[in-house]
Amino acid sequence: MRKTPLYDEHLSANAKMTEFSGWAMPIQYAGILAEHSHTRSAVSVFDCSHMGEFRLRGAAAAAQFNTLIASDIESLRVGRGRYGALLTENATIIDDVITFRLAEDEWMVVTNAGPLDRVGEVILDQTPDAEDISGETAKIDVQGPGAREAMIQVGFDLAEKLPYFAAQGTTWQGSSVIVARAGYTGELGFELYIPIALAEPLWQAFCALDTVAPAGLGARDTLRLEMGYPLSGQDFDGSRTPLEAGQNRFIAWDTSFRGRDALVAKRESNDYDLLVGIQTGSRRAPRHDFEVYYDDTPVGHVTSGAYGPSVGHGIGLAYVPKALSEAGTQLTVGPRRLEVEVVSLPFYSHGTCRT
Amino acid sequence: MYPDDVYYTEDHEWIRDDGGEYVVGITAFAVEQLGDITFAELPEVGADVVKGEAVGTVESVKAASDVYAPVAGRVSEINDALETQPELVNQDPYGEGWFYKMEDVRASEVKKLMDAAAYEAFVQEQET
Repeated sequence: MRKTPLYDEHLSANAKMTEFSGWAMPIQYAGILAEHSHTRSAVSVFDCSHMGEFRLRGAAAAAQFNTLIASDIESLRVGRGRYGALLTENATIIDDVITFRLAEDEWMVVTNAGPLDRVGEVILDQTPDAEDISGETAKIDVQGPGAREAMIQVGFDLAEKLPYFAAQGTTWQGSSVIVARAGYTGELGFELYIPIALAEPLWQAFCALDTVAPAGLGARDTLRLEMGYPLSGQDFDGSRTPLEAGQNRFIAWDTSFRGRDALVAKRESNDYDLLVGIQTGSRRAPRHDFEVYYDDTPVGHVTSGAYGPSVGHGIGLAYVPKALSEAGTQLTVGPRRLEVEVVSLPFYSHGTCRT
Repeated sequence: MYPDDVYYTEDHEWIRDDGGEYVVGITAFAVEQLGDITFAELPEVGADVVKGEAVGTVESVKAASDVYAPVAGRVSEINDALETQPELVNQDPYGEGWFYKMEDVRASEVKKLMDAAAYEAFVQEQET
């Protein structure tokens, strides 16, 4: 298993470790519910150093990369970022990425750890002057309603004015840092892309603050699920298109990209599955891989499911036929036919991410 | 680590003789494995259960698993508090986090289960 530069920090904080996409990662420290609630009310730091980063330089690289993803990154203003899906010829999602335009002629693409080898192949093979900087980059996410104050206390004054889905370079203790503001929890959040050597001192600087506590992958999963954010490799695993994954609004139909023809055909068929939010009437949760039934007919699968600590009942994401995707549709899931209702996303709507 | 006034099963339930009535719950080891408990489904009061029967479920943020009857008997009471405070199982697995009580239990059946020392050895074996 690979170790992030914060591995020793996790052990000394008594984290329970788990294998995730080939990495030894903290699943929890104090407990998933405590970390979840702390992120919603104060500030948590997450080690996301397992994620991938690529740098693109020059207009030609951006133009080429733009043909690989369903969103449009060439039209990004300097300092802004955009979510998008990296597609195959068949329009299935290889990974979802966030691309930031750091300068007139420089972009950074942030990818997930799971499909990183495959993603790296696609980006590096098909984009001139693309550089994989994952190996030299650590990533710390600072998330929660108090994240701005924590950032400023640690020395990142630019957090004061950094807008949502923006990124900016700065320095900390003499080293270059890219500060972005995207988030994956629904709360105000900043992500710090840093040289490996900075990971420990920066992590310690945050953890020294009274408001800040570390949080693991367990809380990250319940937090993102309450927002209805799909997880790459789990809610789409190579066989789903962005249309099915509910990403219609992130598709730049007016640009040319690999898989576009297949995606248009799918759209025009008007007959495909949709990833929807499902909710139980109790604390009982739907679970990953549960079969979904309409009346007694199997119609789909649950891809994510857990108890939603901030909403107080079981929640999940499931693929169902478009005809059954309307909010209010009653379905059952799992061997015991747990009753669920299709609901609109997010499950949790009091997040501070845009504040 | 493991209280010696209860008997243990290989499925990580415990059972305690409470003056003829028997109290059942899940062990600290089970709780540690599950993490934060978010839901417990308990059997019906009055249900006759046989040893090893799945009589309820326990769910945590991460996972769900069945809870089995450690011995045969009749369910005489359930811990209603778990409906609104499933975290009691994490906080006090051998006390306030109990699941249900049983009557018509044969004491000899209970004594065939593992004692604390045997269970501790069993758990160590599981961990290696």
